[in-house]
Amino acid sequence: MLKTVKTKFFILAVISSLILLSGCGEFKDIDKMVFVSMIGIDESGNPDKPYKIILKLYVPTSSFKQNPAPEYSYLIKEGLTMAETISLLESHIDKELDFGHSKLIVVGEKMLQNQKNKVILDFLIRRPDIQMISYFAVGRPNAEEIVKFAPAGETALQPTIFNYFDNSGAETSYIVTSFLFDFRRRMKEDGISPILPIVEMDESKTHFIINKSIVLEEDKPPYELDSEKTLLVKLLSNDAKSIFYEVKRGDELFVTRLDTIKPHYTVDIKENNKVFIKVDIKLAGIITESKNSLRNKELPRYSKLLDEEMKEKVTAVIDELKREGYDPIGFGLRLNSHTLPKNRMNDKEWLAAFQNANVEVKVDSSLKSTGSIQ
Amino acid sequence: MSRFYYYLILINMIANIISAVPTILLYYREDGAVSALIVGAMLGLVIVVIYTKFFNAFPGMTFPELLVKTMPKWFYYPLLCFMAIMWFVAGASTLITYTFLLIRYLTPDIPIILLGLTLIVSIIFGCFMKTDRVLYTIEIIFLINFPIIIFIIIKAYTSKSLNWDFIKAAMLHVVEMPNMNVITACIFLSLGVVNLVIFNRFFTQKQNFGLKQIMVVAFISIATIFTTYFIPIGFHGLKSIEEMIYPWVATSDSMRMKFFLIERLVYVFLLLYLSMAFLSILIHWHVAVELFKFVFRLEKIKYKDIPIGYLIIILFFTAASLFLIVTLTEYQLFQYSKYFFNLTAVNFFGMIFLLFYIARRMKGAKDSKN
Repeated sequence: MLKTVKTKFFILAVISSLILLSGCGEFKDIDKMVFVSMIGIDESGNPDKPYKIILKLYVPTSSFKQNPAPEYSYLIKEGLTMAETISLLESHIDKELDFGHSKLIVVGEKMLQNQKNKVILDFLIRRPDIQMISYFAVGRPNAEEIVKFAPAGETALQPTIFNYFDNSGAETSYIVTSFLFDFRRRMKEDGISPILPIVEMDESKTHFIINKSIVLEEDKPPYELDSEKTLLVKLLSNDAKSIFYEVKRGDELFVTRLDTIKPHYTVDIKENNKVFIKVDIKLAGIITESKNSLRNKELPRYSKLLDEEMKEKVTAVIDELKREGYDPIGFGLRLNSHTLPKNRMNDKEWLAAFQNANVEVKVDSSLKSTGSIQ
Repeated sequence: MSRFYYYLILINMIANIISAVPTILLYYREDGAVSALIVGAMLGLVIVVIYTKFFNAFPGMTFPELLVKTMPKWFYYPLLCFMAIMWFVAGASTLITYTFLLIRYLTPDIPIILLGLTLIVSIIFGCFMKTDRVLYTIEIIFLINFPIIIFIIIKAYTSKSLNWDFIKAAMLHVVEMPNMNVITACIFLSLGVVNLVIFNRFFTQKQNFGLKQIMVVAFISIATIFTTYFIPIGFHGLKSIEEMIYPWVATSDSMRMKFFLIERLVYVFLLLYLSMAFLSILIHWHVAVELFKFVFRLEKIKYKDIPIGYLIIILFFTAASLFLIVTLTEYQLFQYSKYFFNLTAVNFFGMIFLLFYIARRMKGAKDSKN
């Protein structure tokens, strides 16, 4: 009795599995998808359709030998909201847009001036398929030109611009790397301001230049840092791996290569609510170029010159940030981290307190060598 | 203690990273979450110690068997039925959360009912295995996945993007009064031990449970609770972390392994936690099935000589969870999980008195026998 039931059940199961023969319609093959490599967002100037979305799409090639030159296609559209614009763009192409591999988001400079970053951020974070580890950068003069630009020497392997931020190819300390999640937390939290790299092209339009950065703060125009200040801000926020630093004191002029950089800072509130910031930087490195011939036994003197030079520059940068009211290093956050919740300052109060802060910089460097020659 | 005992505790703790627990903890971050974490960890440890000591005193006996020996029928049938439903809900809440996660991040194109059905079908037949087989399944899957999960967590701690200033700022909220919801959610993390009500069948030898074992469990629970709460804050800041519906998925999406096969860690994370969710649901539903079996004597229900008791349970589990998957919204899931954690915490604390009573009755029975 039981056996016949089992047989019947088995036959029923086999017959019903015939339904699966028609295949599944829910899965998209790779030839039905197109991968977005970067997203550009620009201001269009048209008040009805303020956003201009530029998508750079990979064009599939069968082999690298056939098409060594980079090939991309672009989708560009203006619209009132970003999500709707992108859904309209999907009707411009026969395949499904896949954002999961997009690694860079470029925002036009104008966008930041008009305080649109909150709306952009909301859209980018809300979409689950956009990586939170995509790089976030500012395009100059606008995002479209940067997204469309393929520099000399680019191959079909991948857009070279990713290597700039990756720190595995180029390792210069002038490039600020800002991930999407990092940008978000700096935007939302008190006591730390967002800092973004500016991507430009050189005049002959052959290469990217990324050595400036831009600092944002709510209700304020964005503030640009030139390359030297960018370097120092990176150094202070413990992002710099090794830097070349020029020392010009009296008649000495030499360049040092610093490979041990240990910045440390404390922020305290002392009497009558004044903020005291103490910065302590430890450096070690060698000399790589000099105008005059150097002496090995005078290394302590050169270190001292470096100390003075560095102290002056760092103090100047912090003073400038103080004066303008931007805090990309996160002094305010450091203060909050050891203040009880009820005594904490919000962003506005902190920036006001920061303007009157007392800054003390101490640099302690030791140059180990003059290089291969004295 | 037997290694299987630690699996029960560890899986409940690890799998909760993807359930509603971190969302609840982080929601109250400015209303006394940190102090509640400490209280919750301690109370959780108390529960672990008491339940382990109790079941260790009766090796090889399940909770229903103990109840039969010591309690009247009118008392234990409703109690066991209630417990069975509770275990079913515990499994279902993990299932629903994970289905939502999959549909949001991994396979947005598949209809949600199909996705839920796939998960249920792969789990539900496992629940009818024998208890020792369930434990062996758990061991194999756990041993494959656990090292990689530890690796990911170490990666999170050593990541340069983890900002300790945020964590320190969050820690200073310790001065606030502990929040009740956080305490209960925290206790729920330690409730893996309560699965012993059925799984004690496997531990037929008296185990050694001394200070050393308690220290191990305490270390595991403190490390898990600390990681669950503070790592998302370190990555996403304190003030606006509540915007994240799934804080841990967002956190794993913010980790990057430059030289790994897959750069975006979130997919590795989701797949690993798929197996952890599988184990967690398997454990919970196995207990639920065994309890239902005991209460309704399922193997005796027959229709024209065909045993259909198990079929009823399978249909009930599938239909109930599918119904919940389709109807619940994320907000409701969050709210109901909160109520459920409160209920379990109160319930299992209340049951401690019952355990003491049973222990005394059993001792009395033993004495009178001699």
